[in-house]
Amino acid sequence: MKFQNLGLTFVMMPFIKELYRNDQDALPSVLQRYLENFNTQPIMASFCFGALAKQEELIAQTVSLTQFKEKVNDWNSIKKSLSITTASIGDRLFWGTLKPLTLLMALFIWLMLGVNFFEIDFPAQTTLLYAACAGGAAFFVFNAVALFVKWQGLKISYSADERSCFGLTRFDWNKTIYNAKRIGLFLAIGMILFGIYHYLKDFEDIDVHFVTRAVIVLFFVMISFVTRKLRIPNMYLYLSAVFVFNIVCYL
Amino acid sequence: MTPEILTLCVAAALLELDTTYAFQLTFSRGIIAAPILSLITGDIMTGIQIGVFTELLFADINPLGGILPPSAVVCSAVSLALHMLGLELYFAFFCGVAGAILFSLAEKIMRKNRFKWLIFWEQQITRHPQMVNRTVVLALATSFLMNFFLISIFIWLCGQFMLWLLPYIPMKAHFACKFAYMAVPWIGLATLVPAFRLKTR
Repeated sequence: MKFQNLGLTFVMMPFIKELYRNDQDALPSVLQRYLENFNTQPIMASFCFGALAKQEELIAQTVSLTQFKEKVNDWNSIKKSLSITTASIGDRLFWGTLKPLTLLMALFIWLMLGVNFFEIDFPAQTTLLYAACAGGAAFFVFNAVALFVKWQGLKISYSADERSCFGLTRFDWNKTIYNAKRIGLFLAIGMILFGIYHYLKDFEDIDVHFVTRAVIVLFFVMISFVTRKLRIPNMYLYLSAVFVFNIVCYL
Repeated sequence: MTPEILTLCVAAALLELDTTYAFQLTFSRGIIAAPILSLITGDIMTGIQIGVFTELLFADINPLGGILPPSAVVCSAVSLALHMLGLELYFAFFCGVAGAILFSLAEKIMRKNRFKWLIFWEQQITRHPQMVNRTVVLALATSFLMNFFLISIFIWLCGQFMLWLLPYIPMKAHFACKFAYMAVPWIGLATLVPAFRLKTR
């Protein structure tokens, strides 16, 4: 597997064509380098594009074979090291933090607009505007951050050098992720409490339905913490719940 | 297969491209894909619920390294299509989750096979650099067709089977599946708390 090599080649193609406009014979060997293994986080990949473009310019300007080999080696090591670093940051920031954070934001918006998605029996119909609000907000927030990082990544990494890790050190990634996670933790706990309120608010007395719902909430919240520790994915917990509930119903 | 379900399959196959192959603008997230797909079925509230449940259920699996998470688009499309065919939402969602898991397995096999095919195209690109655009378009088109084929086949097979099975499903199984469906948001919400654990410093 070469992962995103074709994507890298596709993105860099206009730049490579322009750079080697007067040396078309060099293109096959240049493309061969780009078609080697490349794997990173897609949003943070812009840092790799800028840095690789800058290094490619240096390769194109070389005058001797020794210099050329040296620059190509540098290009390869930049590609390898930068793709690993950006992947690590991007995975934590975008998949590990921003995605669940925007999900929580959408859930809060829907519940505040009165779209009670917890109700499974006869969910009341909602307007298209309300449906679009929360999904749209999650979409725009995620993509605004992603586009900012893509744009800044490309711009900074092209002008920055190896000492600043091609512009990566200009941002305090750890602090950003740490703060976002703190907000996320606060929102996640708030969402559970807000969800419990919405789930149980229509009950005036404590009857069998109320107890059933309360038991489901408590049981699955507790068991989710356990399965998370055991690294069992949620979907298998749900499939096991279907299986176990069927057995219990027949006992 | 009604025209609405065929349109749903086409839309789902297009949205599924956003997961890996094109743009990656998060159109393939459950909370975005399911409400979009529900515009075709006409039941927006069900779309929101399926979207939220799908995203919460798959929230703990991220596309890190070589991990291929179950497709939220496939889960949403299958659930909405089967619900549209007359299946209860809790049965439809169960089939949707199964469909998403099977789709990710099929995707793994497809990727392995496509790798051999891509070697040929890489050689072509090296020889003729202008081939890169054609290769990307071709890769997108084949991925779209495979997505459409797999989603529509699964919906058709699952729909036929479940509609045949439905009269024989006892009431107890209805209750069991409904309870498990009710638990989905809580399973997901409880996962989000440890997902934000402060390990970054």
